[in-house]
Amino acid sequence: MTGGLLQGLLQAIQPSSLLATGVGCLLGIVAGMIPGMTISAAMIIVLPLTFVLDPSVSIGLFLGLYAGGMLGGSFSAILLNIPGTPSAAATALDGYPLVARGQAGRALGMAVSASFCGGLFSALCLFLIAPRLADLALQFRSADLFSLVFLGLTIICSFASRSWIKGLLSAAIGLAIVTIGQDPVMGTARFTFGDTNLLSGVHFLTALIGLFAIPQLIENLRGIGPGDRGGPRRPGGPGGAVDFGGPGSPGGRNGSSSSDGAAPGAGSIGFRQLLPAIADLRRIRLPVGIGSVVGTFLGILPGAGGPIAAFISYDYAKKTTRRRDRFGRGAVEGVAAPEAANNAVTGGALIPMMTLGIPGDPVTAILIGALLAHGLAPGPLLFVEQADFAYGLMFSFFWANVFNLLIALAGLRLLVKVVAAPRTLLMPAVAILCVVGAWSLRNSLFDVYVMFGFGLLGLAMKWLDMPVVPLLLALVLGRQLEENLRIALTGSQGDVTVFFTSPFSALFLGLSVVSVIWSIAGARRQRAPRPSKSPGQRKP
Amino acid sequence: MSMGHRNLAAGFVLLAVGIGFAFATGQLPDRTLPDTPGPAFFPWLIAFGLIGLSAALIVHGLITTRQRGEVFSGYRLPVRGWLALGGFAAYLSLLPYAGFVLASVPFCGGLVALYGERRWVIALAAAILIPVLLFVLFSAGFQVLLPRGVWQ
Repeated sequence: MTGGLLQGLLQAIQPSSLLATGVGCLLGIVAGMIPGMTISAAMIIVLPLTFVLDPSVSIGLFLGLYAGGMLGGSFSAILLNIPGTPSAAATALDGYPLVARGQAGRALGMAVSASFCGGLFSALCLFLIAPRLADLALQFRSADLFSLVFLGLTIICSFASRSWIKGLLSAAIGLAIVTIGQDPVMGTARFTFGDTNLLSGVHFLTALIGLFAIPQLIENLRGIGPGDRGGPRRPGGPGGAVDFGGPGSPGGRNGSSSSDGAAPGAGSIGFRQLLPAIADLRRIRLPVGIGSVVGTFLGILPGAGGPIAAFISYDYAKKTTRRRDRFGRGAVEGVAAPEAANNAVTGGALIPMMTLGIPGDPVTAILIGALLAHGLAPGPLLFVEQADFAYGLMFSFFWANVFNLLIALAGLRLLVKVVAAPRTLLMPAVAILCVVGAWSLRNSLFDVYVMFGFGLLGLAMKWLDMPVVPLLLALVLGRQLEENLRIALTGSQGDVTVFFTSPFSALFLGLSVVSVIWSIAGARRQRAPRPSKSPGQRKP
Repeated sequence: MSMGHRNLAAGFVLLAVGIGFAFATGQLPDRTLPDTPGPAFFPWLIAFGLIGLSAALIVHGLITTRQRGEVFSGYRLPVRGWLALGGFAAYLSLLPYAGFVLASVPFCGGLVALYGERRWVIALAAAILIPVLLFVLFSAGFQVLLPRGVWQ
């Protein structure tokens, strides 16, 4: 372990890795700040680059993007009341009222400090938990691994959709697609219909580009009029508004923002304004602690993600403070708690990704894809066979949080201008990069067509209010699921009790049942009479 | 179309897909060793799952369409979205013949216009520069051989 740790540290402090992590943070902050541009979309743009870069460099770039994107989303949430990412929606509740009172620097300073603390806490948890969890996972047999992957899928289905039927259907469609090509045990060709392109199956990165980028491109066309030149818009639906349900919401009294994308007072924010006061730091100690713990824990759970963690932390912070009445009117605690949480989610999500090979969200799915493209399979063996890389990844994540802080403090004055980036040029470039990304995987036009097909599927699923995340995760985990199921059944000579006699497997299957029951119960609770509203499309 | 009707329509489509998938699974080779699951084992599980869940979605759709007073404004593709998708399909059809740069220029120009750019100089410059810059970046910078096309 010590050798791997040292090698990992050396790998992460290589100038190329540090530069990539820093550039990733900068790109992530910029991408996060641009409403309508998700972290997944930004990662898809840089995806073709990773095929030509060294694994440690490309993973540094991705981790920087991931951590930076979370922070960047909060800047536009605070300055414009337009969350750049769904995770930043809770930050806007108190962030924008602070800006409206002329305290933009204070709000941003709180966000940057809390994000740094949350990210650092989750990096520490990653460092402490991941190697131990990997050691435990090494003891898993095929039956346990099958049940674990099954648990991951059912949790995602439960979290990702308001309808458990649609969540499970989405996963079933993904599993059906993953059976195309050679089967993982015997190599028999399945559902190829004589087409050699299908023999190696559907590459999940192709699917990912189509599922996320094309619906995003189409969504950004909504509401464009003849005189519109593509300034900043509100994401989240036909009206473009994200309803937070609070006094600072877009629909609320503070919902206006300047049309040129510049927030009041944003241009005059300097380094000094961003440094938090001692009294504020005292106030945010508990909310940051709550956000960090909740964010890391929910990050570990597949499918829960940043938005849930941010809102839960906001709620807990509100309940534990004496200044409850100030929440929604510009309380620094209301900025700190969700910011700490959504940045802590990043480190939490890396734990199951690295140790079990289970991605918790589309971003970690892209990370897995990038690792696989370099011949590195995430999972417990990563810590045995590529310990230096595994520890290097953790150190890169730590650096990503440090760079985030430095970039935000030093360059925020310039960065806020990016919010007004013209979509007229950005989105066409993204569309062409989707084609380049799909092509680069195997230099095949077939992959480009498959990508477009998945784009249409993504739009159809949006039309049906069906989540795409379970489908994506099924594409990532499907082969593993089938392989372990068949190996376990072959080993037990067809005896299915093998899944219930192993304590790990029984535990995971039991938790799967609980998650499905929870989801069904949640859906029933939601059916209680209340005013209808348009479906909030959850973005990755 | 209300969400109930959408669920109903999607349920029938997915049921047909599930039945088709089950039929194709039936054509796969049988197990090769006794007491071991063959290549068709997992697809059968998925086929049953798809059919069962599609049936559940149909039932769910039937129940929700009968509920009165459903006020729902579901997702609708904007007109510009349809145009962009049509343009994307045309671009992909042109790509193997015209190659990356030649096919990308009109597509990029069309998208720039669809996203609201009315200044034709900027639109034209973007339509040419974006594909050319990306081509140079990936071909020369990252050694990624982008589609050349049979006309070139």
